[in-house]
Amino acid sequence: MNSKPQKIIVNIQDCKYPSWKVCLRNKLKYLKSSNLEIDCKNLDLSCTDLLEVIAISNQSNCTVISVCSTSLKTTVSAQSLGYKSQFIIENHLNETLKINEKNITISKTNFHQGTVRSGEYLESSGDLLILGDVNPGAKVSAEGNIIIWGRLLGIAHAGSKGDSKSTISALQLRPVQLRIASRVARGPKEKPQLGFAEQARIDSEEIIICPLETT
Amino acid sequence: MATDTRVILICSGKGGVGKTTLTANLGISLARQGFTTAVLDADFGLRNLDLLLGLENRIVYTAQEVLEEECRLDQALVKHKQEANLSLLPAGNPRMLDWLKPDDMRRIVDMLKEQFNYVLIDCPAGVEDGFKNAMAASQEAIVVTNPEVSAVRDADRVIGLLNTNAIKPVQLVLNRVRPKMMANQEMLSIDDVTDILALPLLGLVLEDEQVIVSTNRGEPLTLNSLNSPAAKCYLNIAKRLQGEDIPLIDPLEESSGFGAKFRRLMQTKIF
Repeated sequence: MNSKPQKIIVNIQDCKYPSWKVCLRNKLKYLKSSNLEIDCKNLDLSCTDLLEVIAISNQSNCTVISVCSTSLKTTVSAQSLGYKSQFIIENHLNETLKINEKNITISKTNFHQGTVRSGEYLESSGDLLILGDVNPGAKVSAEGNIIIWGRLLGIAHAGSKGDSKSTISALQLRPVQLRIASRVARGPKEKPQLGFAEQARIDSEEIIICPLETT
Repeated sequence: MATDTRVILICSGKGGVGKTTLTANLGISLARQGFTTAVLDADFGLRNLDLLLGLENRIVYTAQEVLEEECRLDQALVKHKQEANLSLLPAGNPRMLDWLKPDDMRRIVDMLKEQFNYVLIDCPAGVEDGFKNAMAASQEAIVVTNPEVSAVRDADRVIGLLNTNAIKPVQLVLNRVRPKMMANQEMLSIDDVTDILALPLLGLVLEDEQVIVSTNRGEPLTLNSLNSPAAKCYLNIAKRLQGEDIPLIDPLEESSGFGAKFRRLMQTKIF
């Protein structure tokens, strides 16, 4: 009966309302069966919470298509439920700088603390800093550099938009696969020496791994 | 009425690593220690917790009938023959696979919480609906894995999902450890596994042929054959779950055979 032509973005973090549930219910009152993108702003939502969001939306004949948030927890929850989700990095520093000097571009650094486990996928539109291990089966990618304060045992892709100057650094570099820009390399067979941080970068069209130099 | 019931999910991701065996043995051990314990078989598509406990022929109702108010909870609970503190509740009927929803699971567990000190949920393999249902009602979890790459990888995935659902604490049981292979470095070592999974180790279970015998007989090892190596491991896990501080067995010492064990005994007991 109803055609569902376009996606409507619903912001459920609105200070006009006491809680996001009330906010969502109120905003849905005025919508008639449509496809929704839920903008959760900085709310930390678990899978259970998101299921509730979906249930409330379904009650008003709306379908949740995707979720976006500045909270990593919400993004991961949405992903684990099989929804398209987008992680937005909030960078207050960046915002204020933009106002002062208009033409300065600062690369955004996305920060993740904790182990990235098998099946999980982290993406960043700037640099990516991970405090923890990247386990086998996990994938991390960044448009800029990737720095891992821990072990890299999964797949890492630096310079995902084509920047071949990007590097991947880790305290222990034992990846399944390394990608920088459009280059792909398999991880080294032998275990690296313990206690020496290493860096992968592109040198004459090939990915090489060398000890991390601090300059 | 029990006030602080612990609801523990026993899961693994990969199939065949020993979830059901651990559930059965842990259930018996906890019941032995005097705790009223319910084991809930959430793997109702391929249910066999009843087989392991030797209760297959006593099942009349399942949780499904309880929720549909066709019977009372105590009619569906199957009491164990020897261990009166232990009851089994099958979650559903293998012929009706789609009926259970996370909310149903919460309702069942809430009912069980009123009567029992421990509720152990035997989770199905995989990370799909069955797992999500089983996870919905749990507060803490035990992840079972074997010292092999594929089991560890799947456990890692499951731990990630448990973390996003705020299930705490998550503890690890390393099952089917073969001390000789570990000593010869033909198998992942305990450190290899705990390094990747980054979880506290609740216990090791040694590989034991008696497990197969006990499964076929429908009598968990912890019931009658307390001298088998695996039964001791299960008992230790049950005690550690209570917060008792029992040191982990060292598989390397286990592998060095009778001579070394005898010498150790001499050193500790006599001198």
